[in-house]
Amino acid sequence: MIIAVSGKGGTGKTMFSSAMVKILAKTGKDILAIDADPDSNFPEALGVDVDKTVGDVREELKKDTASGNIPAGTNKWDILDYKIMESVVETPDFDLLVMGRPEGSGCYCAVNNMLRKIIETISFNYDIIIIDTEAGLEHLSRRTTQNVDVMMVVTDPSHRGMLTAQRIGELAKELDINFKKLFLVLNRIKYEDEALIRQKATETGLELGGLIYEDPLISKFDREGISLIELPDDSDSIKEVANIVKKALKFQ
Amino acid sequence: MFGDIPVEVSPMYEGERIRAANMFVELAGPKSIGAELVQVAGDVEDGKVSVIGPEISEMVKGEIYPFGLKIDIQGEKLEKELESVIERRVHELCNYVKGFMHLNQRDQIWCRISTEAMESGFKFEHLAKSLSILFKEEFPIIESISITVMTKKEEVTQFIEMAREKYTKRDERARELSDEDVDVFYGCLMCQSFAPSHMCVVTPDRTALCGAINWFDCRAAAKIDPDGPIFEIEKGKVIDAEKGEYSNVNAAILEKSQGTTERIFIHSVFGHPHTSCGCFEAVAFYIPEVDGIGIVNRDFKGETPLGIPFSAMAGQCSGGKQVEGFTGLSLEYMRSPKFLNADGGYGRVIWMPKEIKDSVLEFIPEELQDKIPTEEDVNSINEIKKFIYEREHPVIDRIKNAQVDEPVEQVDEPVENEFEEAEYGEASMTPVAMVPEIAIPASGGVKIIFKNAKIYAEKVIIKRK
Repeated sequence: MIIAVSGKGGTGKTMFSSAMVKILAKTGKDILAIDADPDSNFPEALGVDVDKTVGDVREELKKDTASGNIPAGTNKWDILDYKIMESVVETPDFDLLVMGRPEGSGCYCAVNNMLRKIIETISFNYDIIIIDTEAGLEHLSRRTTQNVDVMMVVTDPSHRGMLTAQRIGELAKELDINFKKLFLVLNRIKYEDEALIRQKATETGLELGGLIYEDPLISKFDREGISLIELPDDSDSIKEVANIVKKALKFQ
Repeated sequence: MFGDIPVEVSPMYEGERIRAANMFVELAGPKSIGAELVQVAGDVEDGKVSVIGPEISEMVKGEIYPFGLKIDIQGEKLEKELESVIERRVHELCNYVKGFMHLNQRDQIWCRISTEAMESGFKFEHLAKSLSILFKEEFPIIESISITVMTKKEEVTQFIEMAREKYTKRDERARELSDEDVDVFYGCLMCQSFAPSHMCVVTPDRTALCGAINWFDCRAAAKIDPDGPIFEIEKGKVIDAEKGEYSNVNAAILEKSQGTTERIFIHSVFGHPHTSCGCFEAVAFYIPEVDGIGIVNRDFKGETPLGIPFSAMAGQCSGGKQVEGFTGLSLEYMRSPKFLNADGGYGRVIWMPKEIKDSVLEFIPEELQDKIPTEEDVNSINEIKKFIYEREHPVIDRIKNAQVDEPVEQVDEPVENEFEEAEYGEASMTPVAMVPEIAIPASGGVKIIFKNAKIYAEKVIIKRK
């Protein structure tokens, strides 16, 4: 099953994605985390180092092709397949694939086409895939998230965060992308604002998946660069994310 | 058939990846060494399986081992040339074995064995046995097959050295593979989202113009993704071998361009050149004044001798338009022995950026290497003229002959209105542009196209926007 996390930049997509990975890793299932945001720090949040991203592999292959360095009798599918596998960060609990930098100039049709197929093949080998998408709506219009089962739209209490969330919902409908379920996740909510924010959330027309309160511990981890995987299981935030994950898993 | 093999063997396990978390051991790959080789040999003892070095049962969980897979085959009709074709199936057939992951080929393989497979008693002996059965089933011309699995470092190292010599020989042969040697070309529609009437024709002598895929890649793609954008074209009747025109390629382009393009010359910029999506790495463009061809690549930021940069040139011939005198191409095509074959190959090239010239220098005939100017030598058509006369570039013979016989290139495409080139005698006129074809907007259902147009203006004003 594929769960994607989207929303305006800076609303806590990566925190939420990492917390989901943390919770799902405990189930013993094969988990693949995909960092699809060139500007994110999913690997840091998950506490892993990345040597090479899919973007690096793509550029490397383009360079080797242009300079004629690829042996005549071999084919690029197999080479890409190997290099992408090499770029997967493997841990005992989950694996991570980082999409990395965006394309440079020139034609990427062929290499992207191969990549799509290869990543699809890799994906079949996992029980659950968590995608931390790039901020905004691009992933919808480019249809990179069209096979997603559950879409989680994260927003903080900001007006613009809510607006982006609402647009994601509308655009998905407009483009006929049929997620099995789309949930709104409210993040960084102050207790005293809860009633007002819940009201605003209703106005987006999206179904509420859960509400995470402002968490001084998460802010501290962020500030000190500690991996969010280290958050205690009994923290309120982790418990709430676990609830949301439970709801999502019903749509497998 | 696979009764005594403790794991399942079936095509349904293709694409199986074994996560580090579920893996018993890793073989070859980025942290070790390994290779696979299929060779036609004599005296092959059918069904023989040998394992040199530790068996799976003797390995330590989580470790990485060197891995060699040597497959010897024999058969009356087996030829050396088939080795690489048969070897290409190792990847696929290994992946039929559940719990065995296999990636890539040659000395770049990467394998893993799952903990589950190990626990069910799976051994290399079983892998080899499965492969023997599968290969004989897939290729009935294999009469006997014997397989050696190596996991001992010294053995594998020696084996890799031997295998690499074979790969090099095969690559030499692959590079020699030409359009005449195959019956099948490939069509690629990957760029139709941008250029709905464009189709790339990929042949052994011509890679796709984006440079990303060659004939071997297409062969793999058509197999991996049969419903994908790359498909086989039986080349059919040869209409013109020199230009590279084939009946079935024409039929395919007519169909896939929705009737826009009827004919394609694979190896020429004249007549019916290959169309371009916009993805090409370089553009070849005809320069009528010197009856030669210039080449400019995407990364070249300056102006071409025509006074326009790559981007403007690219705009002229992208979007699947067939524009005589222009064709998009890949840098790899410039290493092809059939490079603009019908037009005279490098003997017709009279300008290219230094960067490109350096990267393909060894493919330019030696006697031409110092006759083709770059942006460091010339900057205008007049300077090109001077340069090529001084260095005696072969196109000057063409120019001289043409002065005797008149027009060199015939336009054989029906055009509604063709205007004869007009002479502008006034000295005050400045040449602005020379284009092999330009269409100008007109009303009343008429299309006006100028062929080999030279545009002159009394005054040219360049303004900053």
